[in-house]
Amino acid sequence: MKKLFTIIIFLFSILLYLATIKGITGNPDGEYIKKYLKKPPAPFELSPERGRYAILISLVENKSISLSKELADVVYPDVGIYQGKYYAYFTPGVSILALPFYHLGKIFGLPLVFSFSTSAIFSVLNMALIILISRKIFRHPFWISLFSAFTFAFASTAWSYAITLYQHQITTFFILSTFYLIWYYRRSKKYSLITSFFIWFNYAAAIIIDYPNAVLMLPLMIYFFISSFKIIKKRNTSIISLRPLILASSIVFFLMTFLHGYYNYVNFGDWKRLSGDLAGYKPLSEQNLLKKEDSGEFEEFKEEKQVAGYFKEDNLTNGLFTLLFSMDRGLFIYSPIYILGFIGIFTQLKSIDLTIGILLSIISLNFLFYASFIDPWGGWAFGPRYLIPSMAVLSIFIGRFLARAGNNIITFLFTFILFSYSSAISLLGAITTNAIPLKIEGDLFHWKYNFLLNLEFLYKNQTSSYVFNTYFRSHMSLVNYYLILFILILTLSYFILFLGERVLKK
Amino acid sequence: MIIDVDLEENTDKKKIKFGISGFKDSRDIRLLTYNASFEDFLKNWLLKTPWKKFVLFSSIIISILSTSYFFFNNQIILYGDAESHLNIAKRVVHSLTPGLAQLGGIWLPLPHLVMVPFVSVDFLWRSGLAGSIVSGTSFVVSSYFLYRLAYLITKNKIASIVSFIVFALNPNILYMQSTPMTELPLIALFILSTYFFFKFLRNDRDLLSLIFAGAFGLAATLTRYDGWFLVCFEGIAIILYYIDKGWRANGQYILIYLKEKVFNLTYSSSSSVKTINKIKGKIEWVRILEGKFFLFATIAFAGILLWMLWDFLILGDPFYFSNSQFSARTQQQNWFARGELPAYKNIFLSFLYYFITSASNSGFIVFSVSAVGFFVYLFKEHKKEKFLFSLILLVPFIFYVITLYIGQSVIFIPQITPKSFEWTLFNVRYGMMMIPSVSIFLGYIFLKANKPTVKSFIIFLFVIQCLLYVIGYSKVLTLSDGIEGLSAAKRPDAELWMAKNYDYGLVLLDDYARTLSIIRSNLPMENIIYVGNKPYWDVSLKEPEKYATWIILQKDDAVWKAIYDDPVLRGRLFKYFKKAYTSPDILIFRRIT
Repeated sequence: MKKLFTIIIFLFSILLYLATIKGITGNPDGEYIKKYLKKPPAPFELSPERGRYAILISLVENKSISLSKELADVVYPDVGIYQGKYYAYFTPGVSILALPFYHLGKIFGLPLVFSFSTSAIFSVLNMALIILISRKIFRHPFWISLFSAFTFAFASTAWSYAITLYQHQITTFFILSTFYLIWYYRRSKKYSLITSFFIWFNYAAAIIIDYPNAVLMLPLMIYFFISSFKIIKKRNTSIISLRPLILASSIVFFLMTFLHGYYNYVNFGDWKRLSGDLAGYKPLSEQNLLKKEDSGEFEEFKEEKQVAGYFKEDNLTNGLFTLLFSMDRGLFIYSPIYILGFIGIFTQLKSIDLTIGILLSIISLNFLFYASFIDPWGGWAFGPRYLIPSMAVLSIFIGRFLARAGNNIITFLFTFILFSYSSAISLLGAITTNAIPLKIEGDLFHWKYNFLLNLEFLYKNQTSSYVFNTYFRSHMSLVNYYLILFILILTLSYFILFLGERVLKK
Repeated sequence: MIIDVDLEENTDKKKIKFGISGFKDSRDIRLLTYNASFEDFLKNWLLKTPWKKFVLFSSIIISILSTSYFFFNNQIILYGDAESHLNIAKRVVHSLTPGLAQLGGIWLPLPHLVMVPFVSVDFLWRSGLAGSIVSGTSFVVSSYFLYRLAYLITKNKIASIVSFIVFALNPNILYMQSTPMTELPLIALFILSTYFFFKFLRNDRDLLSLIFAGAFGLAATLTRYDGWFLVCFEGIAIILYYIDKGWRANGQYILIYLKEKVFNLTYSSSSSVKTINKIKGKIEWVRILEGKFFLFATIAFAGILLWMLWDFLILGDPFYFSNSQFSARTQQQNWFARGELPAYKNIFLSFLYYFITSASNSGFIVFSVSAVGFFVYLFKEHKKEKFLFSLILLVPFIFYVITLYIGQSVIFIPQITPKSFEWTLFNVRYGMMMIPSVSIFLGYIFLKANKPTVKSFIIFLFVIQCLLYVIGYSKVLTLSDGIEGLSAAKRPDAELWMAKNYDYGLVLLDDYARTLSIIRSNLPMENIIYVGNKPYWDVSLKEPEKYATWIILQKDDAVWKAIYDDPVLRGRLFKYFKKAYTSPDILIFRRIT
């Protein structure tokens, strides 16, 4: 019964991702993207997906990470310039991961849709990992674990980033899988070698996916380090020992980092220089400095850029408010279900061990890191996109809350209401657009700056959903499509929440 | 492969074995093997170390090192106020009209009085080291007694050392202890008074501690106005302490007494009268309360009365410090008129401003951990005096929230100050006053963390906080305020010009407007005519040529308004003086010889 139930939930989850995935038939080139696919709601409405897809096209078509002028214009304004070559500011990791899907999609004439499905696949994997962690580490009942996974997938704004080419779902996968692997490594000596190799591999790979992962995954690496130490007390003697595998397996990390450094050296002329450090194409073109690359002015301009300067404690208060409560990006405004996650943490406070502490550190670091970022909004985005890894962890703590609350109908109803609201908002974002301006811009130009803008798109039948545009547009309105999907989610969540325990017991 | 490189150190009692014996049976690398006696040795070592001496000597070294660092980086007199403090002290001994009256009636006199012997030496005055000596000494005293205060609360040497380390390595403390500002002297007196006050609360027969608490409270009231709040709260704490004590001992009698008093206005029976007499005998604590309270208050509040008396005798108004045009209140009214006094009459913002300021001064990670310590202390500690201890340790917080609310002080901090304001960094040093309390509660939570992993985690967080300062993620706010904030002293070119061209003669300038720095302009203090030099000042504003060889005017300052804006005096100015320096804001005139 448990297997059947799980299969049903996962099948429906895949179905929901398919129903909302962005894309068009065919393989659009740079010119086509620029002309037709940039205006929201569209598959390339924002520069992060354009940038990553441009790298992907460049890798396939030109066998190079540098972009042609045409592709650079597509990625604009997130383009840097070095020795006359254009580079997207994004790391190549996501594009490399999407390569096989792109090739597979080419067979069916859907390279764009298949490439975008990379994030969706990682999202499904994240659901599985949430269930695994919830079951094995927290020892939550199966229905609670399922509900946690379902919440992350369909009641959080993570959904909007599972159907396009963003790094967040992949980052979350590396965080959750590394956490689980370390927990396993700590617990058992079985498969230690493979486990520790994968832990190091994950860390190096996560950095290639997105540079901030080097910081976000630090608590996990500390967890790994601590887990490798052992203090054994025998009568009067104590022995402190270290599992040598942590050192032996680190070769994977150093090898990958070496390759990463070499990639930087080959492309940007320095082992340490990242694409984000390159002089920006936008300001350079605005200041007419492009033709003066050898001039002192150009050099001076380049030196002004300091990535570390983007993170400051001064931004912290405003950043925390933005990420948690603001009307344009606030977690509690978009996904109030996570209030239960914080209550879950609160109920856990008295029994925090190292494992729980590491999970809390991941959340804290994620919040503090992006709250002190100069742009906690994440540019034009739907909800607090930088908090997606925390949403995954908080989903597990929602499970903790439900486990502590017991069989209480009021708790269930309250949870269901919060889930319904959060899910309604998430679906709205997934089905329409992620291109939501900041409040400050909204106030200035009299634009809507949160999900109310998505609602406008919904009523105007405007969506970038591949399935709707290709198969359903002539048969039903977008509102009806939205309602069908929403009812499906509510039905599934109702089953898990209210009937899950009874069904699974049988 | 077996690698076995063991270094053995055998003594009679302890055996420590370092080595690598990896890939053997357990496949683990053995890093350290030690027996129980080593643990005992470690514990004994920790307990037997003379921590008091360690605190004393290390704080002296830290103080000298950080003062040297800021001295060689030319950062001791970054604040406009820093020079003013030095100048006030200097004028007591070197001025056209030297004497105690130069102490003025706004800023409290004690820090300036203590600085007097040092500013007499010109080098110490001009370099600011005269103030550094006072603040540095205060830092050492603070560190030493903070350790003792933490020990009084926790009864644990390690927790107390942790408190000391958190305090003594705070970069804001380290910067301010190098400057002539008055924060460190107040922190020292706050800690001293609190230490003796807590000693008294622990044993209320210890009258000497009460007297010391009052005496240091008195000194605090003559250092900064925060001290006034401290002694008031200590007074309240004495009352609450004895009410609590009396209630615990005679609660049932007090209830009967109140019932008789409230419900039967006349005593109905002789038995009732007997009961009342019995109760009166029992409530002896009221008399003790009166005695102790008045003993403390007579000493502690004397400073406040003396200051009011001083203001009355010298300046004609006992509340001159609040009513004068130079007072903080008047300055805050200017901010209010500009619509830039955000916390005024807004308790939430007042709280938020001070909360963030104190968190940023302490380091937000340290502050967060300490906040946990505070709540654990408040809700888990069983000692009866915990509420009074917490109350006193929170005095700076309460003081600043209230003063922000009533518009007596203003703080601009980048995190929450609207970007539309002209300045977003000002007076952030006020948050430093919470650092001693934060340090104590961090030491406390370190003690209460019963698992080694939690203790290690607290240490790890502290290290992270230090790293955040090192990489520049966390700003040293007090230093930034002196460099880029509104507290920074202006450095007009005029002072460089003056330093090169001044030869001799008296200089008329409005020092309150901080037209230029007397120190950096290389002017002798004895040759300055400013508002505190009567009758030179008043006469010079009517007959500028009478005393002054040089006249320095800044747009809209007192000299400008009196001489330059008056067509008659302006004519007179140009008759006797020639314009020697011109800038958009500052004009310098030299007497025609």
